[in-house]
Amino acid sequence: MPGYQGKVLRVDLAAGASAVEKLNPDWADLFLGGKGLGIKYLYEELAPGTGALAPENKMVLTTGPFTGTVVPCSGKLSIVTKSPATGAILDCSIGGTAAVELKRAGYDAVIIEGRAAEPVYLLIEDSGVELRSAGEYRGLGCHATENKLKAVHGAECSVLTIGPAGENMVSFACISSELYRQAGRGGVGAVMGSKNLKAVVVKGTGGVFAADAAKLMDVAHDALKNDLLTDTNLWAFTDGTPMIVELSQTAGILPANNFQQGTFDEFAGIKSEALIALRTAKKGCTSCGLGCGNFVRAGRSAVEGPEYETLAIAGSNCGIGSLDAIVEFNRLCDDLGLDTISAGGVTAFVMELTEKGVHDFGLRFGDVEKYLQVPGLIAAGEGIGKELALGVRALSGIYGGQDCAMQVKGLEFPGYDPRGSWGMGLAYATAPRGACHMSAWPAADEAYGELDPFTTEGKAALVRDLQHYNAAKFSLVLCDFWALSFDVMAGMLTALLGREVTAGELELAGERIFNLARLFNIREGFSGQDDTLPPRIYSHPLPSGATAGKTMPEADFKNMLGEYYSLRGWDESGRPRPDKLIALGL
Amino acid sequence: MKFSYQPEKCIGCRLCELACSGHKEGQFNPSLARLQVISGYRSDKLVNEARLCDRCLKCVETCPTGAIQSGEQGLALDRDQCTNCGACVDVCPTGVLRADNEGFPLVCDGCQGSPRCVQWCPHGALTTGEVH
Repeated sequence: MPGYQGKVLRVDLAAGASAVEKLNPDWADLFLGGKGLGIKYLYEELAPGTGALAPENKMVLTTGPFTGTVVPCSGKLSIVTKSPATGAILDCSIGGTAAVELKRAGYDAVIIEGRAAEPVYLLIEDSGVELRSAGEYRGLGCHATENKLKAVHGAECSVLTIGPAGENMVSFACISSELYRQAGRGGVGAVMGSKNLKAVVVKGTGGVFAADAAKLMDVAHDALKNDLLTDTNLWAFTDGTPMIVELSQTAGILPANNFQQGTFDEFAGIKSEALIALRTAKKGCTSCGLGCGNFVRAGRSAVEGPEYETLAIAGSNCGIGSLDAIVEFNRLCDDLGLDTISAGGVTAFVMELTEKGVHDFGLRFGDVEKYLQVPGLIAAGEGIGKELALGVRALSGIYGGQDCAMQVKGLEFPGYDPRGSWGMGLAYATAPRGACHMSAWPAADEAYGELDPFTTEGKAALVRDLQHYNAAKFSLVLCDFWALSFDVMAGMLTALLGREVTAGELELAGERIFNLARLFNIREGFSGQDDTLPPRIYSHPLPSGATAGKTMPEADFKNMLGEYYSLRGWDESGRPRPDKLIALGL
Repeated sequence: MKFSYQPEKCIGCRLCELACSGHKEGQFNPSLARLQVISGYRSDKLVNEARLCDRCLKCVETCPTGAIQSGEQGLALDRDQCTNCGACVDVCPTGVLRADNEGFPLVCDGCQGSPRCVQWCPHGALTTGEVH
């Protein structure tokens, strides 16, 4: 089975047992791998209503057909589970080396279920699979845990680990690998913590096979030289995501002070040039080719990052213009195992509640000293951290401030204000995992591109198409930062699998995967009522820059949403119609 | 043919190893590559290292059966002569020379003048010839 190892490893933490199963080849055809395959497994295996932190929840780690081959940018691992932050489907991806090691160990996927009685870590060395005590790593940060496990198992192994935040089941705890790469969103680290699983260590020595290795090398090398290493993508190497800071500032969608503004007076201090001045190295994932990682040293801190989302949400959105402070916040979150987006979002939210006199959390915009205490308090559940660990939606339920609770379905906003990128609003509202920039990123076309950002016209189709594109791409698994066409994907997949794969087939697979995620959420009780945005977006005009005076009126949003449902073949309540499901083979 | 490696240009992607194994072995497996790149953080520093065949020819000199020959572009192995004794692997000063699963040394032939590792290196960390 070229492109796939044909094997799935199932690990039962409660029983301390593992078994190897055959990969269902029909599922590989229909759902490709990665995100799609993980969603399919979870959809088939998870009983509706299962608690996200209950032992019955599962974590599905998946590779894709390109993983471990010479296809560039194919080194990411997908992790799919039910989210404790949202109760919805959650798919994350994590860079580094873990995906390739797992595939080389002989597996397309690992399904982790149950809860261990004591803290353990899972060791996978080719066919050797065992659970070992993680007692001595309990309470350690992600960095110390990874370094210690590599000292035991060799520098060439890959480690996926949680920090104290995951152990304490913070609703936005992440999973870390290669020190600075994360499966960040939706509390995937809390699920791991709920299972008493501190880490996964994986090392593989086998190979990955193509139907025709020479053909794949020809096609992939042409793609590397003529499609990847071009001006379209090389921003990721020269700058990385920090280059978006200035684009957002210009477009008026750079969140500042909990989305009260779309521009930030101190933006020059956190933009790409400022960060590059502190850069000491570039780093990529296995098979990358681009190398987006900026390793920077600032003050006493060193970190691979901060990425745009961190600069925006944990920086300007908290009124923080000190790059040193953001780098340190980033390092703390990485080590403690916290998603910087949600950590920044919840910090900004309570800053606003404090300043508005709703409740005094002792945190104000721009207060660097207090800001830097937040990650530690959240991870440990101490002081205000105990409440902040609940996330923005839960906090707004306790203290109010729903108008300015910048979240969808319980997931905090990423760094693009929908009032200056109306398609982005639709993307946040309809993404299966909540306010998410990875399901579709129309900001590139509207806020930063040629399209009018302040209209609904054409946006429903744009968002739908981007959602299919990303669903297919993240199932193959290819990195977000390679803006390749369906045709280039199909050409490489044809050479890999040894059978003709068309662009249309891949686009259809993307639509199938997106709809299956929707079906998962509907089964969990979600409906069109949940496809919404915070009132601030509808009714609070932005004060400055290119978005001065702009909102996205609710009536416009509703019209766009209705058009989107209709284009998707969904009914008025956002439920896929039977004929659509039949057409998609669902 | 000699290779040069500039660690400051390396992003640790290992496309060189993947391309090497794909071309020479028909499978993508860094364990079967004729070079190795190690990239990782140590004490807040990114450390990139590569092991490359530098044509010192110690393996050629040591081989008791003359199974390894040195040509214009690189080394060649005569599998009929090789006894899988491992002497070449033991003597390799850089440690780049490894044996495959059957015990045959994975000697670098420079892809007959068209080295895939160099062709795939995305940011010019790996080149042929001396770097000045």
